[in-house]
Amino acid sequence: MVAHHEASRAAAITGVGVVSPLGASFAAVADELLAGRSGVREIAAAAGARAGRQFAAPVVEVPVPAWPGCADFAELGRLEQLCLAPSAAALVDAGPAAVSAGTRLGIVLGIGAEHLKAWELDFLAGGRRVFEPRRDDTLVHRLARRLGIAGPAVTVAAACASSGYALALGRAWLEAGQVDACLVGGCDILSPTAIAAFHNLRALSRRCDDPARASRPFDRDRDGFVMGEGGAFFLLEHRAAAARRGARVYGELVGVGMSSDAHHMVAPCGDPREAARAISTALADAGIEPAGVDYVNAHAAGTPVGDAAEAGAIRLAFGAAADAIPVSSTKSMSGHLVSGAAAFEAVACLAAIHRNTVPPTINLDAVDPACALDHVPHVARRRRVDVAVSNSFGFGGANLCLVIRRAA
Amino acid sequence: MHTLPFERSTGPVCVLERHALVEVPLSEIGPLRDAAVPEGAPALPARFLRHCDEQTVVGVRAVLEAIAGDPQPVEAFARYGVIAAPRCAGRIAAAETLAAAAQAGSVAVSPHVVPQCSLHAAASAVSVALGMHGPNLGSSGGPEALSEGLCTALSLVHASGCAGLWLVLSEWDEEPALDPAGRPLDDPLCRAVALALGSRAAAPPDAVTFTLRAGDRAVEHRPAPPGAPSALAAFSAALGMCAAGGAIAAWSHVCPWGAEIRVAAPAVGVRTPPTGLASREAA
Repeated sequence: MVAHHEASRAAAITGVGVVSPLGASFAAVADELLAGRSGVREIAAAAGARAGRQFAAPVVEVPVPAWPGCADFAELGRLEQLCLAPSAAALVDAGPAAVSAGTRLGIVLGIGAEHLKAWELDFLAGGRRVFEPRRDDTLVHRLARRLGIAGPAVTVAAACASSGYALALGRAWLEAGQVDACLVGGCDILSPTAIAAFHNLRALSRRCDDPARASRPFDRDRDGFVMGEGGAFFLLEHRAAAARRGARVYGELVGVGMSSDAHHMVAPCGDPREAARAISTALADAGIEPAGVDYVNAHAAGTPVGDAAEAGAIRLAFGAAADAIPVSSTKSMSGHLVSGAAAFEAVACLAAIHRNTVPPTINLDAVDPACALDHVPHVARRRRVDVAVSNSFGFGGANLCLVIRRAA
Repeated sequence: MHTLPFERSTGPVCVLERHALVEVPLSEIGPLRDAAVPEGAPALPARFLRHCDEQTVVGVRAVLEAIAGDPQPVEAFARYGVIAAPRCAGRIAAAETLAAAAQAGSVAVSPHVVPQCSLHAAASAVSVALGMHGPNLGSSGGPEALSEGLCTALSLVHASGCAGLWLVLSEWDEEPALDPAGRPLDDPLCRAVALALGSRAAAPPDAVTFTLRAGDRAVEHRPAPPGAPSALAAFSAALGMCAAGGAIAAWSHVCPWGAEIRVAAPAVGVRTPPTGLASREAA
């Protein structure tokens, strides 16, 4: 029963593309994460920005995609560049056989504030689009046209869990026979308005004296998150189809759990039950017991309430097994990629599986007693990782948990 | 053509439990934020809608109208998910924010602009306001909101493991024109349709059903001609007719990628008075 369940619902990850503050390839990101390096740095302040040093985790260089029809890449807006580069890279990585003629290929883009970002970038460049009564095309359809994707093309958004919901929907399409393969993921960019809004919300760290040490998930002295940009895309295929063509499989998406706190539009929910339900649902979906999990990539962004609530959810969902499951937050290194965070953290899970090493939470000098778990402070931990769990939580109470397993 | 190892039948995936259409001019959305809920609908938290985007306000109202049409305790929806597919939402607040920030700097940026004007906001508002603990997410945000919203809802109604899903579709009839401070210059109509979708297994025999059929190939997608009724308005009208046993028994929508979404009324002879199926319009 379990074997059938697993075989029928596993989505093989056969292509990975990533653009992030820690690099623009799976290998580079894995190297940086496992070495415990920070991508957070001082950035130039935008016009009208608050006083003091500005810091974030920017993408320093966006590689031009090795994909036909990208000659105008340099002329595209930054959001489009940061989505096109990793999505094209995932298709290239999967190889031409994965998306040959006749393959019904879909795309799901997880992005929370596409129009806000597009209007802002245009406004800052002197444009007036935000004031004009026009209906702009959405990025997912432009990506589909550029990448030759003729199947379903949908944008989904669940704030900081957006790109995780993209993986969930892509897997549902595979399972329902809507597509043969699906490009899924998400991305985000740094923008002055978003930084100002989160700062005014008092959600951002104010440790401007030492940016690389500002992102401190689970630490007693954490004071907010550090914004980042970038994201990741994956090609999902049926496991059987990937096996038939002998594809390299990075891992398998075997479980998804979703729930809502229904608590507040902005404030994290201190009650861990709904977040724990998302984790338990994902494990049940995967047919995996809590003790069968080898690594938890936490959402933990470094906010006082959110990190403690997540620690409680992990304890509630995993029970006694939580004492022996290493937990880390890679946002300590990457910053918070917002819409792209869940997809990037799925890359971190694949890196843990591939390298049999759990990435650390850097800057975790003194664990908050309210966040007691089996943390991996400062330095990566060698251990076999067959099953990784990734949590993502967003504004509006969106909870998402993904279970990723080593390919069978 | 690939042979799919786990292809499902193309039969109905879910049923329509209740629905409502709300259309409100922009000038009347302000008062609607603090208006009493419709009789029979659950109360909202105090001043809950004060920072919400206009499409969210109208979308929440549509959900309340749908519940009021066949009153149920709000707990009946505790395990429902919410998917909202607005079209170009958040532009008025974005314009006001950008104009204000250009004048006064980052201190003028409201902390509400991101959580209330992003794509997830309408779904989250319904989830938070009415205590729904299934997944809540936004879909589309652009011109294909009807296709994307329906496709997302029909794909997740079973995958999400919840009791049912609310789908909230919304748009401006005409996009508002704004002055340089972000203030509206006209008074367009904001339209929202709320649908509660339930599991087919629990469906009464006279239920309106939804079917999602995968496309074998993408069809050529052409924009609607100027002056054509909006796809959401046409969908709402067809939904009403299917549910009320009117002139049409089925309505089909072809997505830009060739997938077909079919709404079908029960066969003649099966139809019974619409108990348990709430349909309501408010203007």
